[in-house]
Amino acid sequence: MSGLGKDAREPWFAVRRELSPKRATVLTVISFALPLLIWSAVSYLPFLWHPDVQLQLSAHRKDVATVYVAGDRVSKGFFPEFQSAVRKQNEELKEQLASEDPLDGASESSVRRANKKVLRHLAPLLIKNRWLKDDQNTDDEAIYHAWGEIASGENTLKRPALSEENIAIVQENWKAMSAIAPNYDSDLFISVPLFSLVPQGKASNPDYLPAPDRVLMTGVKIFNIPAEGGRPSMIQRVGHSLQIVFGGFLLAALVGVPIGVVCGTYPFFSRLIEPFTDFFRYMPAPTFSTLLVAIFLANDAPKIALVFIGTFFQLVLVVSNTTRRLDMPLLEAAQTLGASQRQLLAKVVVPGILPSLYDDLRILLGWAWTWLVIAELVGVKSGLTEFIETQGRFRNFDLVFPVIILIGLIGFFTDQILSLVKGLVFPYTDDGPKASSHPIVKTVLFIPRLIKRLISKSQPDAA
Amino acid sequence: MIPPAETIDYHAQSPEVSERFTKLKERPVVLSVDDLTKVFPSRNGDVTALKSVDFEVYRREFMCVIGPSGCGKSTLIRILAGLETETSGAVLLDGNPVAGPGPDRGMVFQSYTLFPWLTVKQNVMFGPKMAGHKEAGVEADARQWIELVGLSQFENSYPHQLSGGMKQRVAIARALANRPRILLMDEPFGALDAQTRAQMQSYLLQIWRNLDITILFITHDLDEAIYLADRILVLKANPGEVDEILEVPVPRPRNLDQFIEPEFIATKHHINQLIHPESERHQDNLPFPRMTPLGDDVE
Ligand SMILES: Nc1ncnc2c1ncn2[C@@H]1O[C@H](COP(=O)(O)OP(=O)(O)OP(=O)(O)O)[C@@H](O)[C@H]1O
Ligand SMILES: [Mg+2]
Repeated sequence: MSGLGKDAREPWFAVRRELSPKRATVLTVISFALPLLIWSAVSYLPFLWHPDVQLQLSAHRKDVATVYVAGDRVSKGFFPEFQSAVRKQNEELKEQLASEDPLDGASESSVRRANKKVLRHLAPLLIKNRWLKDDQNTDDEAIYHAWGEIASGENTLKRPALSEENIAIVQENWKAMSAIAPNYDSDLFISVPLFSLVPQGKASNPDYLPAPDRVLMTGVKIFNIPAEGGRPSMIQRVGHSLQIVFGGFLLAALVGVPIGVVCGTYPFFSRLIEPFTDFFRYMPAPTFSTLLVAIFLANDAPKIALVFIGTFFQLVLVVSNTTRRLDMPLLEAAQTLGASQRQLLAKVVVPGILPSLYDDLRILLGWAWTWLVIAELVGVKSGLTEFIETQGRFRNFDLVFPVIILIGLIGFFTDQILSLVKGLVFPYTDDGPKASSHPIVKTVLFIPRLIKRLISKSQPDAA
Repeated sequence: MIPPAETIDYHAQSPEVSERFTKLKERPVVLSVDDLTKVFPSRNGDVTALKSVDFEVYRREFMCVIGPSGCGKSTLIRILAGLETETSGAVLLDGNPVAGPGPDRGMVFQSYTLFPWLTVKQNVMFGPKMAGHKEAGVEADARQWIELVGLSQFENSYPHQLSGGMKQRVAIARALANRPRILLMDEPFGALDAQTRAQMQSYLLQIWRNLDITILFITHDLDEAIYLADRILVLKANPGEVDEILEVPVPRPRNLDQFIEPEFIATKHHINQLIHPESERHQDNLPFPRMTPLGDDVE
């Protein structure tokens, strides 16, 4: 194709030279693929970063208050210390067992309790290997049985595997346990101290950077949790958040656009309204949050009011500026055509600024989005923000990420759709021809356009 | 421009031309400008854009205003249109003083002022609709005006789909649709290329000939002024004063071949002298030193 060859000769870098549509699309795809690729690389290539070790198997250290459980992350530097501390503890236990007082003065019941902990330390690994179900981490009977299987070599843990050292410890412990009871029996459980399993783990990133697959999976999961009790489902949360954003924004637009247009049209109103508006917009909207709760009480009203305050003053100024930018000669031409003052406003100013106004509102909608999080923290926490707040506090960042990304996606796609719609609503602007040839628009408008063509064909006199 | 024309006096009119002017001056006065002065106050002294401008335009006359840049041509026409107020003096349309813009004076601007959100037809319908006329009648009327300027195919196009010349034709149709008493045009073809401009001049003469319309046309192009006008008002700069109002001795109907007729050249030469006198031409010489070898001359 000649078009292709021509494109190949065009430079990729040229000051203000438009790229071909194909190249533009390629770059758009890359613009999203690149960050995703970097995120994946950092997540899946252990040598890139991975400053932590995520425990697959933890151990209890005597006389140390900090308790780590499987799934916790410890720093790479600390992990070997943790392991050697447990090994040393086992060495000491060996000596203690050989001594006169194998219990070292502890009561049998306390030893038994400690032993149960050792037993259960293997559970996370068993669950990962699918030997046990997710909720069986305290099912001592099943865990006990698994210990036996591992010790006898009847069955081996594979993913993740148990280290040689730990297999030896399992065998040693099992010898002692099975001598007393071949099957688990709470009352007959061993009361001689057991050796601790040595912690195992794998290199990982900090919890604040979960891997893409994990984010995707938890994302799908949290969206499938139905509403129950006082906790809304994720869809309901999205709906609620949208209500706040669009409620505040639409209210601001409804009141602000007429004021802005009037300010941009009549210097009288501009002087009367704009100076104060200009002052007010410098007061950060969140500073009004407590006041808004006092005025509007709980629920959504203060939240919507916050988005309103955050958007309204900006909107008035932007709209009045846009109105002032309308070509003066258009107004003069209309006057020489006999338009009265009122007609000028209704028939020239308003239709004349509509395309720019549309763009302004698109940008201000983005502005409204940024107030969402703060608005939802006002009064009773709600919506997506409540979820992010709660889960973030528990450091469940793999649950937080999908929600943050979702907010971004909603905003992004809203904006894209609005930008497409602009060309359809204002066919006389630069976006007009672009929009009507857009693949999405073509698809959506295929049927209506077909019908139109058929109608015009069936009545040739109409043309 | 070679002036053997000095031998011909631009005052000399053939009997037909002189008869045309006699008849023209018997027509009623449509626009009368009386001792018009416009001063723009500014921080570093007032600028007198127009000083004691006095002239009359007869019904169905085609009058051109010409003058050096900044002499106040636009200011004059904007005052006539009511877009600017005079400092002193009066403007009378059919004997009545004008106050503010109105549909009785149509205006065509140099910049494109079609409403981009309206189609060609809707643009032309704008004025009559503002006046509150019935939609149906207005639309039929607009179609006729569009046909008159030869743009029927484009009646449903938006202005951004038209060329510059087409836009100005729509602007003319839009102004005419209001049935104004006078059409005020401020360098309407200034932004067009030479061919389109010549074509537009011819269109404009045809429209003018066939309608009951008086035209006041501003230009800085001598050929354009002589080709179009019955009379030419020459403005002087600083302050903008009437230098001369001259009667164009070129007979009508006009055509492009007349550009080399002696009376055309004589008129052009005379106006050129007024606007750009011989005595001032030395100012055109740049203080430019020779930068080429001796003997390597081009003229
Ligand atoms: N709004 C204004 N305020 C102050 N001075 C003005 C204003 N409009 C015009 N002038 C001054 O009045 C004089 C005449 O301006 P005008 O635009 O009428 O000239 P013009 O003959 O149309 O020039 P051109 O041929 O370049 O269009 C100029 O000196 C200009 O600086
Ligand atoms: Mg001008």
